[in-house]
Amino acid sequence: MLAGFLTLVGCQLLGEFIQRALGLPLPGPVIGMLLLFIGLCIHGNVPKDLEIGSQRLIELLPMLLMAPAAGVFFLGAGFADQWPAFIAAVTLGTVSTLVFCGLLIRFLHGRNKRT
Amino acid sequence: MSELMHGPLFAITLTLLAYQGAMFLYTRSGRAAMLHPTISGATLIALALMLLQQDYHAYYQNINWLTFLLGPATVALAVPLYRQLHLLRNMAGPLLITVTVGAIFASASALIIAWLFGANHGTLLSLATKSITTPIAITVTQDLGGITTIAVASVILTGVVGITTITWLFNKLDIQDDRLWGFCLGLTAHAIGTSRAFERSAVAGAFSSLALCLTGTFTAIFVPFAARWFM
Repeated sequence: MLAGFLTLVGCQLLGEFIQRALGLPLPGPVIGMLLLFIGLCIHGNVPKDLEIGSQRLIELLPMLLMAPAAGVFFLGAGFADQWPAFIAAVTLGTVSTLVFCGLLIRFLHGRNKRT
Repeated sequence: MSELMHGPLFAITLTLLAYQGAMFLYTRSGRAAMLHPTISGATLIALALMLLQQDYHAYYQNINWLTFLLGPATVALAVPLYRQLHLLRNMAGPLLITVTVGAIFASASALIIAWLFGANHGTLLSLATKSITTPIAITVTQDLGGITTIAVASVILTGVVGITTITWLFNKLDIQDDRLWGFCLGLTAHAIGTSRAFERSAVAGAFSSLALCLTGTFTAIFVPFAARWFM
């Protein structure tokens, strides 16, 4: 598991390094993810240690997110006027995205089947 | 005594305790979306801090090292992406077009609606990543200079809205193919959507998790460049 963890941290460090060296707007961990993905494609399978290490970390995600999420209750008066925009953007945005994607994929898939 | 309450040991104990409580509530409720561990756990932490009259920012400073793990967790998402990649065969065209256009639509629709409702700059920066998985959303939002907390809240609320509306919406649109159903849910509602898709079927779950990975990656690449041009 720790060997897998080393791969993950190593990829992130390399990603952060590339981000700074090239001045990319992409976050370092995302570059690290792309590097690991390319590595897996070249390697052809997922090593056991990496499989376990990444699985454990992904399972922990809900706990890692609790502390930042709790901040919602402590935003204070400064954010009070932003709530209507926030709620509207998230609810209406999500419903319209589902409808848009549903219609688009149905259209593309139907056309794909016919050709 | 009181210095114990302001240290990392108290912070991690509170966090682990809240997590156990959240998992208990979540499984007991039959995995109700509104009681998703991140939502119920965050509520429990907030309640405890208010009752004990502790400062949230001091608590967050003490637990920051845990949040650091979101970096390697983002890298770890390469593994499920690699595993689900074979699903692209036969359907690569429709899926890749939908994910590209759909991811842009997800960000743009939220930004336009928020802007119409008079959202400020900080709120807008924190909404662009609402349809992507939280670890990526946090890293992107931090780089953009948005408010991390708002980004997390928008991602979770998006997930909850997505899974509570999709069945009705897709019945109306008459989309019942598990592959299309799962893909759209994963694209829009990330990991929360994916766990709901697995409840429908293994096929829906696999396509949902492919969509989750592709949307996260594409949005993480697209949003920072777009922000550089527009803001």
